[in-house]
Amino acid sequence: MGWKFDQPLYCLSDDKEQKEMIEHWEKEKHGGLSEGNNRLPMPLVLIMALIILTAFMITMPIWGQRPTADNFKEFVANMNSPEVQQIADPEKKIEYLYNLVYSGADSRLQGALERHPITWDDLLNIAPGIREIQNGGLYPLSWYNVIGDRIVLANFEGNYVEIGGKLVRERLQPWWDKGYTIDVFYVTYFIITMIIVIKQLPHFTRKPDIGRI
Amino acid sequence: MLLKLLFAKNEDIPVGSATIFFGYSSIFWFVVGTGLGSFNAAKLAFPDWVTGTELFAFGHMRQVHVLAVILGWISMAFAMTMMYMTPSLGNTKLWSEKLGLWNVFLWNIGLSLGLLLLWMGITSGREYSDLIWPIDLVVIFGVLLPLGINVWMTIAHRKTQGIYITNWFFGSMIFLTIITVTIGQSPELFNLTGLTEAYLTFWHAHNLLGLWITPVAAAIAYYTIPKITGNPLYSHRIGHLHFWSIIAFYSTPASHHLMSAPLPEWLKSFASVEGVLILIPAVAFIANILLTMKGKWSLFVENVEIKFSVTGVLLAIPLNMQGGFQQTRAINWYVHGTGWIVAHAHLALLGMSTFLEIAAVYFGLQAMLRRKLYSLALANLHYWFVIVGFCIYWISMTIAGLIQGAGKIYEVPYIDVVIAEHPYMIARWIGGTMVFTGNTIWLYNMWMTAREGTIIPDGRYAHEMAYER
Repeated sequence: MGWKFDQPLYCLSDDKEQKEMIEHWEKEKHGGLSEGNNRLPMPLVLIMALIILTAFMITMPIWGQRPTADNFKEFVANMNSPEVQQIADPEKKIEYLYNLVYSGADSRLQGALERHPITWDDLLNIAPGIREIQNGGLYPLSWYNVIGDRIVLANFEGNYVEIGGKLVRERLQPWWDKGYTIDVFYVTYFIITMIIVIKQLPHFTRKPDIGRI
Repeated sequence: MLLKLLFAKNEDIPVGSATIFFGYSSIFWFVVGTGLGSFNAAKLAFPDWVTGTELFAFGHMRQVHVLAVILGWISMAFAMTMMYMTPSLGNTKLWSEKLGLWNVFLWNIGLSLGLLLLWMGITSGREYSDLIWPIDLVVIFGVLLPLGINVWMTIAHRKTQGIYITNWFFGSMIFLTIITVTIGQSPELFNLTGLTEAYLTFWHAHNLLGLWITPVAAAIAYYTIPKITGNPLYSHRIGHLHFWSIIAFYSTPASHHLMSAPLPEWLKSFASVEGVLILIPAVAFIANILLTMKGKWSLFVENVEIKFSVTGVLLAIPLNMQGGFQQTRAINWYVHGTGWIVAHAHLALLGMSTFLEIAAVYFGLQAMLRRKLYSLALANLHYWFVIVGFCIYWISMTIAGLIQGAGKIYEVPYIDVVIAEHPYMIARWIGGTMVFTGNTIWLYNMWMTAREGTIIPDGRYAHEMAYER
């Protein structure tokens, strides 16, 4: 196989090999069939680039973040405050709490609360569980997921951290994970390999004389 | 006749015998499979239809329908096309007609036995790998391996220097499917349970779809479209992109079928990206085929094989758009476990894959029998019954799935969802029954083609004579 690297994005095979391949395609008929050497139309190349970009953007682990008990700790801390007690309507109570929490929340917490809204009744249900963990839980509140009215230890397996003298796996949901990292390398290797495979063929401007296309 | 040929010398077996037996077997199983589908759909539309008999309960009948279609229709149609396309593309003969005939014989026996056992309720209980392990051994050693040996040896004995893209797919996809089916049975053989069983079950199911049912159908289109239009394939280089992106992006995302299961999140993230990237081979394939049609679009109206083939290719567009995005966390949350997925599965099997295979079976049987189609009118009727029936099925199940998704998310009582879905279940039955009716017309047409079809003179093809009386 003859390689040539002076114009890598034009063609990687030498002129002699390109000529042989073209002649081969012109001469050889597979059961009467032959093949052209046309390029993928440029709009479709751009669509493919868009597909790759979309694949990473739409599947980013951050989009599937589950509600953690930590998201609601300020609600629990303030739900029995005199200001809330004075409000009779449950909808107004939770609205007051939202305004309170939002005023001091960073954008990550605001986003999480928008995706996982709760009502006053929900808060009444989950508050005892959150307090219990705050008073004697083994792990940080952020390691617990809120599933319906239950507070459960999340099943994520992150890096080892030391808690209470023991090495345990972090249960935080990652916004980026190693599966994603593997994908970055996997797709990169695929693109490089495909460029080598396709650029080893004669350049698309060199067309075999096979007729109508 | 088959029994006589099974014990004849290979040289004495007429060329094309394996193709013809595989072809008629596939159509027979298609009629059986869609008939069972129609029966099952009637049970969902009319709950009082055939009750009181355990054997006819939906739980007994569903997997018989699924495997009759996959192993009987789709896979036998693949085998049929391999029996004539592989040698044709290598300018040679099939390596062994006799092996092909034994293959079709063992296939029919094994499948009949397997479906009978499933019907009786003897099953491994895992979707798509429902057959019990002794039947799985028949599938591996009586079905896939002999098919693979015949295809690989025919490619090895080709009289061309290069290998055409269709044969890349045929050779490699049989190899990968043997691995898929073998490893896919490990939960049963090694008594694996829980999440491991779930993962391996859907690793098998995913790869059966991704490395067999869809890419082999695409490989068929790479033959039928250039062959009938007379145009060269638009691009060898896009073929490379299609083939290698299937290998890279379709063999890896099995866990996107289990996005709600407690699999490691990183595995789901990895699979989900790969899942969207199936659009890469899809774009490559669709572009390559549709650009090959350049200057020959009139055949989409005039020629029945092109009509089926191009419809199959066009159906690959919504198929891959759905498949790419429905597995992402955000969308899967809504559609998982609903009729949407049933609609999508039928879009793959009854839509894209089936339409491409029907074209190849029409073309191959006429070519091997050297007889022109008995009735072009019946073939067109077949097309319209299948496409209209399929569309009714697909659209109604998609709507039913969206209703179920909404019901699931908003915790609507299950019985209310069942009532809301009822009209769509009736539409599903009507669509499925139309497909079944179309297929019985096809079986009759092909039976009559073998008996009374006009003999094609040497040097001509059936499609060239379609409008000659």
